[in-house]
Amino acid sequence: MSFCLYSGAMLGEKTTGKWTMDQAPQYAIDHVANSPKNLFEFEILDNLSQKISSFLGISSDSLFYIDLGITKHVFLLFFVSLITVTTIVTLIQKYISNKKNIPSKFMSIIEMFVIYLRDDVLKNFIGDKEYRSWAPLVYTIFFFILFGNLLGLVPIFDLFGLVGKISHIDSIYIFSKGGNTVTANVNVTFAIATITFCAFIFAGIKKYGFIQHWKNLAPSGLPWPLYFVVVPIEFMGLFIRPLALTLRLAGNMMGGHIALVIFITFIFSATAEIGGLAGLGIAPFSVSLALGLTMLELLVAVIQAYVFALLTAVFIGMAIHVDH
Amino acid sequence: MNLILTPIFGISFLILEENSKGVNPLLTPELGTYVWSLVIFMTVLFVLRKFAWNPLLNFLDEREKEIASSLQMAESAKTDLEKIKEESEKILNDAKKEGKAIVNDSKLKADESAAKILEDAKAKSNEFLDEAKSKIEIEKKRAIKEIKEEVVSLSLDLATKVLQRNINDDDNKKFVKSSLETMKADEAKS
Repeated sequence: MSFCLYSGAMLGEKTTGKWTMDQAPQYAIDHVANSPKNLFEFEILDNLSQKISSFLGISSDSLFYIDLGITKHVFLLFFVSLITVTTIVTLIQKYISNKKNIPSKFMSIIEMFVIYLRDDVLKNFIGDKEYRSWAPLVYTIFFFILFGNLLGLVPIFDLFGLVGKISHIDSIYIFSKGGNTVTANVNVTFAIATITFCAFIFAGIKKYGFIQHWKNLAPSGLPWPLYFVVVPIEFMGLFIRPLALTLRLAGNMMGGHIALVIFITFIFSATAEIGGLAGLGIAPFSVSLALGLTMLELLVAVIQAYVFALLTAVFIGMAIHVDH
Repeated sequence: MNLILTPIFGISFLILEENSKGVNPLLTPELGTYVWSLVIFMTVLFVLRKFAWNPLLNFLDEREKEIASSLQMAESAKTDLEKIKEESEKILNDAKKEGKAIVNDSKLKADESAAKILEDAKAKSNEFLDEAKSKIEIEKKRAIKEIKEEVVSLSLDLATKVLQRNINDDDNKKFVKSSLETMKADEAKS
């Protein structure tokens, strides 16, 4: 269904002007990139952005200007978090308060993930005693990313764009600008990776104390000249971990969606370059490719959420159990 | 072919190409989005931790404990049941044995008393028989004596009639005596 909506949305886009083959890459990139301008204008946010940035000494035309305006991805983040929180809290509260303790369908899926992560990941990597304090973080990372990934597969905002375009309502049409997969945005994934980074630093400090934790970076028992090599490598490794997390998740989601859109642009490119019949001829090919890829993306959505959660648990475990 | 390759290769050029701000559009640092992500994620973490994960984990722990304890209870109930079964079997066996003993005992007693009753009856009947026999004997003797006396008087009457005369008692007596002697002599001869 999603590729039908994608195609529909692109059809809406196509009506703006003549589609040419060269437009396809730009269109695909637009599909995963953030919206270029603010979706909603909030003066309060603009003022806040200016205040914070000037406090930090960043001018408004700098790349690092902190613009707190609501872009599409920020809007989607709210949307994803709202859905995540309401779904999970409702299901779990209902499950717990239910005296019969029979989970509903969705709840049994959530319970399956929760128990699997607890028994095979948290207890394994963090430890039977310490896992309880880190479990909420790992679970939240998993489900937040999972919902973000899955919501990215539903082209609900592309459909909004189509409706907006057809009915000439710019306030709705604006939704079609930029992609709707928050987890394909490096800033979002970097934010979650930052939390993971803080978590495993904090876990080490909590266990060993501030000084001992940093000393743990260097494995003991090496001949002293080696420390000149090992310590910088370990230190770099510390920062590479969140970066790897960031790029892995964003890259996976980005790649899948770009490929998905590119497959569908074949139809429009063929129509534009050769003719309507060619477009019709290539349609089954690109639709089946897009369908297969959507199925794959469903799998990737779960796997990437799992990998992020797993690595968070592994890094926290590494900080707690230094001897490993 | 061009149709397929253009978008695929075009994208790599576009990604490498810098946009107006000097970075490629897919890796633009948007600090606003970053800050929002941090804030939103932390909020979600806080809310879920309080209202979802901790209650759920506690609930799961409790349920697992409950399951473990009920399993243990089931195990102990099973052993209890086995014990009870053994005990009841023992009781049943004992009862059976006792019942058998009682039956045997009563059988023995019954046999004994039956034998005794039989013996008593036999003794009594023997007694009766003996008594009857002795009575019969006495009666027999008496009857024989009477018959004898009757026979004597009858034969006397007969003899008198035959002789047509009544001899006196002394004659009678002499006659009888002599006839008895002849009878005895005849008996001795024969």
